[in-house]
Parts: sequence; structure tokens; C-alpha cells
Amino acid sequence: MTESGVGRQTAGVLVEARDLRRTFDEGRVEALRGINFTINEGEFVAIQGPSGSGKSTLLQLLGALDAPTAGVLHFRGNSFDLLGDMAAFRARTVGFIFQSFHLLPTLSAIENVQIPMFEMPWPAQERRRRAKSLLEAVGLGDRLDHLPPKLSGGERQRVAIARSLANEPALLLADEPTGNLDSVSATRIMDLLEKIQSERGMTLVVVTHDAAVARYARRVLQMLDGKIVADGSPARPPM
Amino acid sequence: MTFFTIICKNLLRRRTRSLLTIAGIAIGIGAVVALASLAWGFETSWVRTYTARGTDMIVTKVTSQSPIPAPFAQERVRDLKALPHVVQASGLLTDLISIEDAPTVLVFGWEANTFLWEHLKLVNGRWPANDEEPVVVLGSVAADMMNKTVGSSVQIETGTFKICGIFESSALAENGAVIMRLPQMQRVTEQDGKVNFINLKLAPGTTQQQIEELRQAIKMQLTGFKAFTASEVAQNNSAIQVAKAMSWATSGIALFVGAIGVMNTVLMSVFERLHEIGILLAIGWRRSRILRMVLYESIMLGVAGGILGSVLGTVTVKLLERTPLLHGKIEGEFSVFLFALALIISIGLGALGGLYPAIRGSRMHPSEALRYE
Repeated sequence: MTESGVGRQTAGVLVEARDLRRTFDEGRVEALRGINFTINEGEFVAIQGPSGSGKSTLLQLLGALDAPTAGVLHFRGNSFDLLGDMAAFRARTVGFIFQSFHLLPTLSAIENVQIPMFEMPWPAQERRRRAKSLLEAVGLGDRLDHLPPKLSGGERQRVAIARSLANEPALLLADEPTGNLDSVSATRIMDLLEKIQSERGMTLVVVTHDAAVARYARRVLQMLDGKIVADGSPARPPM
Repeated sequence: MTFFTIICKNLLRRRTRSLLTIAGIAIGIGAVVALASLAWGFETSWVRTYTARGTDMIVTKVTSQSPIPAPFAQERVRDLKALPHVVQASGLLTDLISIEDAPTVLVFGWEANTFLWEHLKLVNGRWPANDEEPVVVLGSVAADMMNKTVGSSVQIETGTFKICGIFESSALAENGAVIMRLPQMQRVTEQDGKVNFINLKLAPGTTQQQIEELRQAIKMQLTGFKAFTASEVAQNNSAIQVAKAMSWATSGIALFVGAIGVMNTVLMSVFERLHEIGILLAIGWRRSRILRMVLYESIMLGVAGGILGSVLGTVTVKLLERTPLLHGKIEGEFSVFLFALALIISIGLGALGGLYPAIRGSRMHPSEALRYE
């Protein structure tokens, strides 16, 4: 195994983290304290833990929104440091779903979905066609021109899901995707994510503190105080 | 949806603020258009004063850059008539004189039977009959300004002159002037046998090179004299230079205020949208795209202000030209060049005002920007 991280191909492994650390406030706050894991292509992984356990920090590192203080993070065998343009990596390889949806309020549903597509070489017509098809896939075919404030929480998250799929990413990252939703909407959103993941065969990583959400995943990484304390199948609820 | 759609929607989000910024830019650009058109109009009217007379070259004594050069001996006119390409040479004496209650008026003393008189159109009365007759003709604007008609008298310095005619000229400066025969002017200004301009009419088809040769010949033959073409006279005129400098200084201040306004608006709009910029960065927009988005927004404000300001400046000058106080005294010159310049300045203004906010916005760290709500 080479340490350079260049051209190091591991079949089926999408992301590999080794001794990943992230500190804040000049080292006084340790959010991640030496994380090790691999995520394979097409896996559905939940990162579960209480508030402050470091799960969102880890998600930000996976999505190249932030850089680790120490340790190595590989994507398809290449170090994140050597991937070059991080914005291009985020645009083409990663899809983000946030707890607060993070839609642009002045743009309609179909326009919001087109936003990431500006980084792809698609003409305006093609962008619109793709956005329409994605909104139809998430069940919002009749809400194309609605502005986010006119949509329900569940509908907004569906728009955000459609947006995350805009550039056909290899890795879908969801940060508490049901955190701002009622239980009915939450179930629908998780059903939708599960369906998208299995149909498209993409890698889905969901960060959640909710055991019910984590149970949708095939594998759960349990986090506590900046460390992974368990890695296995989701716990089944007592019968 | 195009990139442009996003920019427009961003600007329309805070309509009042965008409109107020556009209004601020429009005032700045309006000032540029109005003042520059008046300064250029002033210059053009001077040029036209000579071209309307059929004057190709003007010879004066090199002194200061005063609009009224120092007088010199009238015999020099004869010397110039002998030079090649010169068809006619006509000496004249000009001064700015305060007449009765009117402000300073241009008073000309012209030699009889020269080409200078040919372009004037008599609208009332008659021309002076001879050199001895103490009469003047008034430009139509001067007559209005002094409230004089044919037959009334006018006091110029120590002399009293009868108004024998009223004329119109295509040159604004002449319409506001008083013209008399040269000997009368020499007497009233106590400059006997002197002129301060010689107007030359050159042979048709005189080339630029021949004009240059003539200019050199004049310089050699008449020490201390200089020959100008009509447009050069206007450019070297200190009054025109002052008018132009003032117009640019005033415009500069207006533009500076406009640029600060744009920067304030765009900076506020960027700070309000830090969270959204964070979203855009998170979903993969490159920093250069964020920079372009903010910069284009501010340039669009500039362009909108520039178009509105051009209209505002033009309308203001047209209204000023019609006011009784300024009628016939000012003339705005509007050209494609002026409006193109206004548009370029407004684009520059928008770019300048938007550059700092654009850099600030594009340098945000996505994970930090996402925390702003």
C-alpha cells in the first residue's frame, strides 16, 4: 500500500479515511479524533451519533467542504489533496442534501434544480429538460414553477434531493435530511432516498441522530466524541 | 434558466434598493452627459464661429492663452495676403465688453467688404454703410438680451452707437455678439491701427501638408505669431479649457459618489446573501462564477443607471437651452461618442463598485458561509 495516494486503486472502494482528524479553535476543540473507515461504491451508510459527536464535520470532509487537520482521505484511490479543483469535485461527484434544504428562495423549484448544472457543459434547454425529469422522479412534476416558500417542508426537501442528483453524482451526502420534517414527511423522504439509492446504484451517506433514519441504511457507523465506536448493521427495533 | 436570469432575479429581489442605486448612478452619469455636452457644445460653437465665416486659419500673436489675444499692427494682414494658398486675409479686432446692464458681450470690429460678413443673415434693418458711420449690428440673441431693436442706441465704452440692423448666424457666439466696422471698434477701444485676429481663407483643395507649410511660413515671416486652424483655436482657448476642466471635475465628483453608492448596495446585498453564496459554493459553483455573478449584478446596475442618466442629462440640457435666462447662450452637443462614453463610464462605475463585494463574496469558505442564516 503506497502512502502517496496517487493512482492507488482499490476495487470497489469509493472513500477511504485513515486516522482522520479535524480540530478547531487552534487545536483546543477536537471534532474528529482519528477516524478510520472505507465506504464502497453503491453502499448506503448512515453515520449516527448524538449532537457534537463529529458526524456533520465528517460529512463536510467527505463532501470536500472542509479539509482535515491531519490524516488521509481518499476518493477512488486518490487523495483529496490531489483531486485539484474542489469546486469541480463537489459539482460533478458529490450531491448534497441539507437539513434546512438550502434552496434559493427567489428561484422556482425547476430553477433551483438547475443551479448545479451550470458547472456542466449543458445548454439551457438541456438543463431544463434534466431538471424537469428529476422533479418528476421525486414526485414534484406539478410543482415545477413553485417558489420554495410556496412548498411544504417535505416538498422542499424533494426539490433539494432533485438538485443533489442534478449532475449525476457518485456520492450523495445527506445531513439530517429529515431533521426539519414531521414524521410522515420524514418517512416519505427516507423511502424516496432509499429508492433513488437502490435504483441508481449510487453511494449514499446519511448523517443522523435518529435511529429510525439510520435503520434505512445497510450499514451504520456509530460516532461518539469524534470517534467511530461501532461499525455494523443497523440495530433493529425491539419487536 | 440562464446565468443572466439569476442575476436579474437577484437584482429584482430588493427592487427599491436597486432602483435607488440606479437613480444615484443616473444622477452621476446625467451630470457627465449634461456637462460634457455643454462643454463640447461651447467648443463647437467657437469652431463654428470660424467655419461659418469661411475661415480656414486664424493668426494671432502668441501671448497668453487668453480668449482675447493681444492687439498688433494691422499691416500684418497685408503681409499674409502675399503668402501661397491664401485667397483672402481679413483683420479683426475683438473684445469682451460690458454693455449697459447686460453682462459681458463679444464685440467685433470687422473690415468692410470681406468674406467675414458673407455668412450673416440680416433679419431686420441694414448693414453699416461706411467706416465713419457710428452704427452697430446686433446678433438676435444679443438684441433680445439687451432688449434693443433697430433704431435704438447702445452705449459701448465711451461711444454711443445706433443699431442699424439685427442678424442671425449659425454660430452661437455670433448670435450673442455686437459687430461694427473695424475703424469704429479701433476708435472705441483706443486701438487705432490694430487688430488681434487675422482670418485667412485658403484656396479650395489646400492639402493638410500645404497647411502645415503655410503654418511654418507664417511662423518664419512673422516672429511671435502663430497660425491655428479653427478647431485648434477652440482647443487652445482658455475659456473652453476651463469649461471642460470644470465639467470633468464636477462629473468626477458625481461619479465618485455614484461608485460609492454602487459599492454600498452591492456589499449589502452580498452580506445579506452570504448563506446563499455558501449554498452555491457547496453545490459546486466555482469562486470565479460567484465573482462574475456579483460583478455582473453591479455592472447591470451601472448600465441601467447609465441609460437613465443619458436620458436625464439630455433632457436637462434641452430644458436649460429653452429657459429664458440661458436661451441662445448654451448649446449642448450630443453625439454617439458622448453616449458611448457615458455607457463605458457607467459600466466602469458598476465594475469598480462591485469589485470589492464580488471578491469578498467569492472568497467565502463554503462551510462558513452555510452557517449564516
